[in-house]
Amino acid sequence: MNPRLILAAFIITLGLIIAAVPENTTKQYKLTANQLLDEIKSDMQFISTDEVADMIINKDPSIQLIDVRSPDQFEKFSLPNAINIPLVSILSDEWTDVLDQDVKMNIFYSNGTLDANEAWMITRQLGYENNYVLQGGLNYWAETIMNPKAPKSTSPDDEFAKYDFRKGASAALGGATVSNTGNTSKKSTKPKIKRKKKKKRAAGGC
Amino acid sequence: MGPLLPNELISNNTNFLLAFIIGIGFGFVLEASGFSSSRKLAGVFYGYDTVVLKVFFTGAIVAMLGMLFFSLFGWMDLNLVYINPTFLTSVILGGVIMGAGFIMGGFCPGTSVCAAAIGKIDAMFFIIGLFIGIFIFTEGYPIWEHIYKAKFLGFPKLNELIGISQGFFALLLIIAAFAMFWLGEKAEKAFPREEY
Repeated sequence: MNPRLILAAFIITLGLIIAAVPENTTKQYKLTANQLLDEIKSDMQFISTDEVADMIINKDPSIQLIDVRSPDQFEKFSLPNAINIPLVSILSDEWTDVLDQDVKMNIFYSNGTLDANEAWMITRQLGYENNYVLQGGLNYWAETIMNPKAPKSTSPDDEFAKYDFRKGASAALGGATVSNTGNTSKKSTKPKIKRKKKKKRAAGGC
Repeated sequence: MGPLLPNELISNNTNFLLAFIIGIGFGFVLEASGFSSSRKLAGVFYGYDTVVLKVFFTGAIVAMLGMLFFSLFGWMDLNLVYINPTFLTSVILGGVIMGAGFIMGGFCPGTSVCAAAIGKIDAMFFIIGLFIGIFIFTEGYPIWEHIYKAKFLGFPKLNELIGISQGFFALLLIIAAFAMFWLGEKAEKAFPREEY
């Protein structure tokens, strides 16, 4: 038989096969399981609530907060300038431009850390850079930024500095507690109170 | 896994090395198929020799099948494969200019280099003409920039434009290719030339 006809028959058979099978639309993961495990172990994906609060207050243009909860939860409460990408639609093409870029710093958050971490894992495995997770999620955000607790008088200076910052952030982000608003209605008076505490702490230390 | 370069499985330098080896292979096949003869190349326009059509279309359908099967087996992500952007006006204009140059000079850019490498003087002149063309285009770029960039269609795929699956389109293309091969060979018999 003519070898050219054999070749033609072979190619047509391959063509029939490729026409009959469905297209492979699976997205390929770029990181191996081991690489991902290393990243998870190092906890590099977490951004603390203080860092995020600082960036929001300073209107840092490089962050993009991404709420991975459901749209109705997003409606009820969300962080300033956050966008809503529910976890279920994280793979839709509509969001690829947002998630796969190297300009902004995307920070996923959910109520806890679970959903945000899942979003991070999926996007990380797709090889996307610049995605992070808000440590502790909104619960921890409420606990630390919205309603910061005064540290014990024996705590180190750092704790007071952190508390000062959190109180300021809380006021700036509109999350001041009843007691806070009761004590001080103006921002300017707050730092004075804080400084007094610091002095006390210093005196005790000596 | 693949494509190798976008997935950073190979470095840019390795990529150039592979391109160099593939380029030499390409030149070898061109020469082995007799593409360094301008008479053979021009034959496709007159119908007495359609080997150009057969070689290039065979190359195209083999590469197409290879990529589709690689994608099917999960060896290659077709979304990462570079697709040339389509500027409709420049495609048509460029096609006409390229076709005119092909039929007048008897070479296409690749085969002219191939023929020059084996010492064909007409091919060397062809290459000089090629560089004159490049010079005119680049120096006059501001004049034809608006034509060059007119009717941008994005990165369309034929099968998506028609609305069929890529596998089915591949099958149609294979059948079309074989139909053209058959027609080409008919033409070779209809317009024979003794010596060229």
